[in-house]
Amino acid sequence: MGRSVKKGPFVDVRLIEKIEKAKKENSRKPIKTWSRSSTITPDFVGLTLSVHNGKTFVNIYITENMVGYKIGEFVHTRTFRAHGAHTDKAATTT
Amino acid sequence: MARIIGVEIPDGKKSKIALRYLYGIGPARALFVLNSAGIDPEKKVKDLTGEELSKIASTIQANFKVEGPLKQEISTNIRELTSIGTYRGYRHKVGLPVRGQRTSCNARTRKGPRKTVGVLRKKGKERKPISDKKE
Repeated sequence: MGRSVKKGPFVDVRLIEKIEKAKKENSRKPIKTWSRSSTITPDFVGLTLSVHNGKTFVNIYITENMVGYKIGEFVHTRTFRAHGAHTDKAATTT
Repeated sequence: MARIIGVEIPDGKKSKIALRYLYGIGPARALFVLNSAGIDPEKKVKDLTGEELSKIASTIQANFKVEGPLKQEISTNIRELTSIGTYRGYRHKVGLPVRGQRTSCNARTRKGPRKTVGVLRKKGKERKPISDKKE
């Protein structure tokens, strides 16, 4: 079920503060955030976010068509190493 | 043989069933189309007059996106997801479930038939037949 329209999209309050500050200072520095569940609003466009993926921070540049998605959608939290990678490696080294 | 919007040629079935042969028309939409066109849903396709058929076609085109345009819309939506780098787009690309289902087992609709990955043996060693395994 979708979120109630009355409340509006969810954006972490601390993230909003950081974005307002960056807009005011016109700074291009990546904004560090852990709030992957925040929705991208039109205010974000043109900024670079540094989003936590559980281990490190990944920089993403927000474009216009990313609006409406959650921040976490763009930063993957899992790395997939191909199946049988270890056996391939063993086969080539021996 | 009746034709509705291009290539669809269902016949000998009740029209509420036959309309479902169109991509983008299911039980609900078939009934909606027939009722708004004022045609008995139980009527067989072969008993429909040409006038009724064109009426059906026009009501479908006025209300829904079906067949080619619908497929196109879906694929452009998916392409947009991949182009902006979303997780959903990535899952579409690699052919895995998109909505967070488990993939340890099942998920066969997306993954297709089972592909068994055997253990790779060293070069020169032939792989033994399975029947020799228990000895």
